[in-house]
Amino acid sequence: MGSIEMTEINELQKIANKIRATCVQMAFDASHGHLKSALSCVEILVALYWRWLKVSPSNPADPHRDRFYMSKGHGVTSLYAVLAEKGIIDRKELAMYAKSGSCLPDHPCKHMLPVLEASSGSLGHCLGIATGALYALRLKGNPARAVVLMSDGECNEGSVWEAAMFARAQKLENLLAIVDYNDMQAVGFSDEIMGHTLLEEKFRSFGWAAKRINGNSISELADCLESFPFEKDKPSVIVAKTKVGVSFMEKNILWHYRTPSGEELMAAIDELGELPIQTG
Amino acid sequence: MRKALADTLTSLAEKDPSIVFLTGDLGFQMFDEFGKRFSGRYINVGVAEAQMICAAAGMALEGFRPFVYSIAPFATGRPFEHIKISIAYHGLPVTIIGAGGGYAYATNGPTHHGADDIALMSIIPGMTVMAPGSPAELRELLPQIMKLKGPAYIRIGKKGDPEYDADGPAIIGKARLLKSGEKIAIVSTGEMAPIALDAAKKLALAGINPVVYQMHTIKPLDTVFLNEISEKVDTILIVEEASPIGGLWSAVSSFMASCSRHPKIIRTGPPDEMILGNCSREELRQNYGFDTDAIVNICKKLTGLSDIGTISEKEKSLQGQV
Repeated sequence: MGSIEMTEINELQKIANKIRATCVQMAFDASHGHLKSALSCVEILVALYWRWLKVSPSNPADPHRDRFYMSKGHGVTSLYAVLAEKGIIDRKELAMYAKSGSCLPDHPCKHMLPVLEASSGSLGHCLGIATGALYALRLKGNPARAVVLMSDGECNEGSVWEAAMFARAQKLENLLAIVDYNDMQAVGFSDEIMGHTLLEEKFRSFGWAAKRINGNSISELADCLESFPFEKDKPSVIVAKTKVGVSFMEKNILWHYRTPSGEELMAAIDELGELPIQTG
Repeated sequence: MRKALADTLTSLAEKDPSIVFLTGDLGFQMFDEFGKRFSGRYINVGVAEAQMICAAAGMALEGFRPFVYSIAPFATGRPFEHIKISIAYHGLPVTIIGAGGGYAYATNGPTHHGADDIALMSIIPGMTVMAPGSPAELRELLPQIMKLKGPAYIRIGKKGDPEYDADGPAIIGKARLLKSGEKIAIVSTGEMAPIALDAAKKLALAGINPVVYQMHTIKPLDTVFLNEISEKVDTILIVEEASPIGGLWSAVSSFMASCSRHPKIIRTGPPDEMILGNCSREELRQNYGFDTDAIVNICKKLTGLSDIGTISEKEKSLQGQV
């Protein structure tokens, strides 16, 4: 028995498609972005923001809020769209994405958008930052949780494993890492680059509790989040196997950098069955 | 200097509960007292310098004031990009302590040589860069670091560093007068200060009386002092145990180049080389012409007097370069 009703799943999937359409629109408008990286993690963000994270649009700096770190900063348009849909940022800002002076730059910047927990864009930073933040919160007796969304390519970075070691040593049970495993890096396939080894096994060998799920399934994500923390005293990781969610962009590394043409934008919106968030 | 660091940090942490100390598995027994007194605020991250930096950034984002500690090359060059992004991009008040900068670990070889720490840290926007020359100077600077809003790097010595007298207090960003004099200004940084003072004492016997300043802060550069000293002396001799690229000489020369007129600026210090051969720190300073006698000889030459002793061919060629 799942933790989420079918009606809610359908509702959240519609939101996910709207977020996806918004990302494609933003990439088209700005002729910019890492579209595939933004699209593959949409359901993860929707499940987090609509089902799990304790964050309040009216009090985003609440000390007891859950901390969310967009470690895969290059895929940030989906986070921007989620923040707009949740009312945490003004939806008008989406139209300014990646333009000069925008609070929504190509890679997320905490100086421009203070609601972020951290700036990102260089991989392999936020897991370590989150471990330090959780350690500090524990010293203060603050029970807030932290979620770090990473890319599969990011797990090539040695610093991820330095942080993984620390998180287990310090028993950071309030830490959840989610790896968006879309299997596509900038110029190669993750499985090939990592030698066809299992990421969840690597995390387990570092003392983490790990689960592998379909990262595009709202229901699997909801169930998995419901079971957090997976094991006592251990940090948790979800290896979320994902697809891009737009048929003509699947399994095509070109879409790491490419932005859509007008025709491709219309085709994507048509396939998704949802219009982008209106910014006007 | 490491004992001065441990004692001062312990007393600061007594008053300020936001201080946390992270080590990259170094400083054996140095920080036991800190760890005993402040349970949970001493963290051995392991030989994981990138993690040490990122965790410190996370703690600072939550309102803490982390001090991170390792041997200079492992505190700076190893996690450089993590310092630049996790700490400096966020403008966080994290203090990085590089122990044994320069060639304190001379005999450990190029893996442990830390001549590039000043250059690496200086190039990071918003970073305050310091290299005190004595335990007392370090004790004076540490409480002031607590008032900085952004990140800081502080290179410290290892052990047995001599104390010296100075006319005034050590203030971050201000050159410190160690000895009055005229015509030549010897400007030291880091642990070269007592050597510069020794050289000045020897020079006094020959009737040469240089003024000696210690620039314990390399960034921000004390340009007020540089403008003032430019009016008073004919030559500024920079004495540093750091790379000739990106250290104090480099910073002073860059500043002076934009001034309409300035004194002659020369440098003595190690070259831009991997130092091989397992020599001691003292041998290294002698070989490359930045020990007491070498400084004496440079100043004597500047005043038209002959050398006090023999100097190596290498030293001659180096002095020729400056």
